[in-house]
Amino acid sequence: MIEAEGLHKVYGDLAAVQDLSFRVLPGEVVGLVGPNGAGKTTTLHCLAGITVPTRGRIRVAGHDLAADPVSAKSALAFVPDEPHLFEYLTVEEHLRFVARLYRVPDVAQRIPGVLRELELEDRRGALPEELSRGMKQKLAIACALIHDPKALLLDEPLTGLDPVGIRRMKATILDHARAGAAVILSSHLLHLVEEICTRVLIMRRGRVLAFGTIAEIVAARPDLAGRRLEDVFLGLVGQDGAEEG
Amino acid sequence: MIGPLGYLAARSTRNRLVRQLRRLRTPRYAVALLLGLAYLWYVGVRQRPASGPAEVSPETVQLLAAAGVTAVLLWTWIFGAERRALAFSRAEVTWLFPAPLTRRQLIQYKLLRGQFVILFNVFLWTFLLSGGWAGTGPWRRAGAIWILLTTLALHRLGVALLRSSLLEHGSAAIRTRAVTLALVAIAVTVVIVDAADAVPALRGAWDLGLEEFLAAAHDVAIRPVPSALLLPGRLLVRPMLAESWAEWGRAILPPVAILAAHYVWVVRSDAAFEESAAAAALARHRTGRRSGRAPGFTARPIPRLAPTGWPAGALLWKNLAAVVRTGRARGAVLGLAAVAFAVVALSLGGGSTTVLEIVGWLAAMWAGFLLILGPQWVRNDLRTDLSRLALLRSYPLRGRTVVGAETAGSTAVLTALQLGLIGIAYLAFWGGEVREPSPELRTAALAAAVVFLPAINFLAMLIQNGAALLLPAWVRVGPDRPIGVEALGQNMLVMSGFVVILAALLLAPAAVAGGVFVGLEPVSGWWAVAPAAVGALVITALEARVILSWLGRVFETTDPSSVPPVESL
Repeated sequence: MIEAEGLHKVYGDLAAVQDLSFRVLPGEVVGLVGPNGAGKTTTLHCLAGITVPTRGRIRVAGHDLAADPVSAKSALAFVPDEPHLFEYLTVEEHLRFVARLYRVPDVAQRIPGVLRELELEDRRGALPEELSRGMKQKLAIACALIHDPKALLLDEPLTGLDPVGIRRMKATILDHARAGAAVILSSHLLHLVEEICTRVLIMRRGRVLAFGTIAEIVAARPDLAGRRLEDVFLGLVGQDGAEEG
Repeated sequence: MIGPLGYLAARSTRNRLVRQLRRLRTPRYAVALLLGLAYLWYVGVRQRPASGPAEVSPETVQLLAAAGVTAVLLWTWIFGAERRALAFSRAEVTWLFPAPLTRRQLIQYKLLRGQFVILFNVFLWTFLLSGGWAGTGPWRRAGAIWILLTTLALHRLGVALLRSSLLEHGSAAIRTRAVTLALVAIAVTVVIVDAADAVPALRGAWDLGLEEFLAAAHDVAIRPVPSALLLPGRLLVRPMLAESWAEWGRAILPPVAILAAHYVWVVRSDAAFEESAAAAALARHRTGRRSGRAPGFTARPIPRLAPTGWPAGALLWKNLAAVVRTGRARGAVLGLAAVAFAVVALSLGGGSTTVLEIVGWLAAMWAGFLLILGPQWVRNDLRTDLSRLALLRSYPLRGRTVVGAETAGSTAVLTALQLGLIGIAYLAFWGGEVREPSPELRTAALAAAVVFLPAINFLAMLIQNGAALLLPAWVRVGPDRPIGVEALGQNMLVMSGFVVILAALLLAPAAVAGGVFVGLEPVSGWWAVAPAAVGALVITALEARVILSWLGRVFETTDPSSVPPVESL
């Protein structure tokens, strides 16, 4: 489970995230959407323990991120929008490296399955510079999943993947949610969010515009009834909002 | 009317300055700047001699400076890394290379862009050299230094373009550059032959003392071949020593001509450098390097990481893998092994004891130099990984654990290098039957080095990593430090700060070591060095623990957005 309570992050004069509170239960996939500059990545960075919030409280799998960061981080995985790989480690060594950090003793047994799932079997000895953009993204995702996280944070996870990779990735996210992981997924691909997310959190200028299932969000705006998420999103943030940031 | 490239250079410089000034709102940057200015004031004003060193004549100063400039020029020809000099940023490659611009315009833009670093260093050197033997006005000196640094930068770029052309066009380029290459080859041959004649005289003078050696060097320098070789260097440094505007006016004409000739040489070069520059930009982007050299990583086999154990051990393993998988580590190991083998062969085969003694002293001196230079050269630690701060922060590790494990990587590499050199020195002294220092002292020193070097190196690396963490916008993030003569002033400043902090941190361990040694020496002789090192080790460990805890907290609170993108540094 992922819980945020009164999350607030300020950079100088800019309030990137303001009083954000929500809870993502095990098995849920929450889509984080909003125009550029809405505060999505800052929110994910705060939840991942990368950025220290100005105020507010975050709990991951029951562990307070500020008081017990090691336990909280052990339970979560974060996949950034750009795959940050070590250019001197091979594909398999990346997995072994991350497994050691997250204390995964049976990594040798897990590696073949993970590589097969992400179609990287024949690239296990390759350095990152020998991989395509999509393969690097797959490797970053594989590293995130190697320790079976209870909380999964994904920032634009489908960037660079081919159609087959996108389909597999969607299945992987849903599999992990079904296995009990709480998932937050940030994406501009609204059809993806609509397809796999159980609830949607729409942000604008660091604030929550709406949070709930699409049906719940539409219920608050009867004029958007029967519309797709894209129309709901544009209706909530407005055309101007979609271009901000 | 200002062109688009002029606009780009001007706005980039202006925005860079504004950004750096804004950073001063952060207290740690403001404090660091004040400390830096105080240091400059102390070195440049308080320590300025009323007159130059009496024993060194202006002619000798000019000779030494000219020799330095000549060495830089030769170094560029022999080791010049074309990718460094040609490197454009990735954004520049993306936007400028497909644009309707000529190669000449691109080169002119690169020259213009390089002026930011050059002007900063002109200011620095003018200030540092503002007294003593070089007693001329700051404006005259600034002008002379600007011409010198710009000429050297142009020379580096010209050589890089030539090398790029050779790589691009192969034998055709060799034919078109035949005259240049032949001249260089002839010059090198003549110098080597002539230098061989001068060695006995210099060696004899060295035994008599520094003053005699400098006089002998001066006599050698006025011989036809060295004189011709040093002429460009002499001409370039002469205006810096001018005592009046009239003298400066006369002395500045040749450097201006040299500068103009370099400019023409560079902008008229038709080398197709785009591919090299693009490759350099890509390599720099991939590896977070500033230098633009190719990464050179190969998937060389390394010991497999055990799945269980200290989690942060994974960081240490990763950083050692980074070193093993570059050619540098392989070259260093092979070099040390070859020297060690040669030393053993000479020792067992009854070789020259003089040669063995020289090798011993050289190895020992290099091990000593590495105490200061090593922490800036060996950078497989947080400095390389800082561009991935967000990733590091997401790992389930305490801040102090991450900083400690990262620092341990570069410490291990530097210590191994030093111990290799010390081992060679030990073998060479043993084979050369050297009596001073005594065998007992050498053995004790070796034992002390094994005990104490890892600790002192760890402390030194902590300072370097701490600087990167505290002032990420000021410290070059990536495996390489600033390069080129134009960045020499910055490097000196950074090194001075590092040496001052390291010396302050070593005061307490040195005091304890001294006390232990003085107490035990009457009983155990030189062997008292070892317990003294252990005492110093304990104090150093305590200091390192305190610094590590502090830096761990800094690591946990540093926002990844405060680390500027590598290419914008």
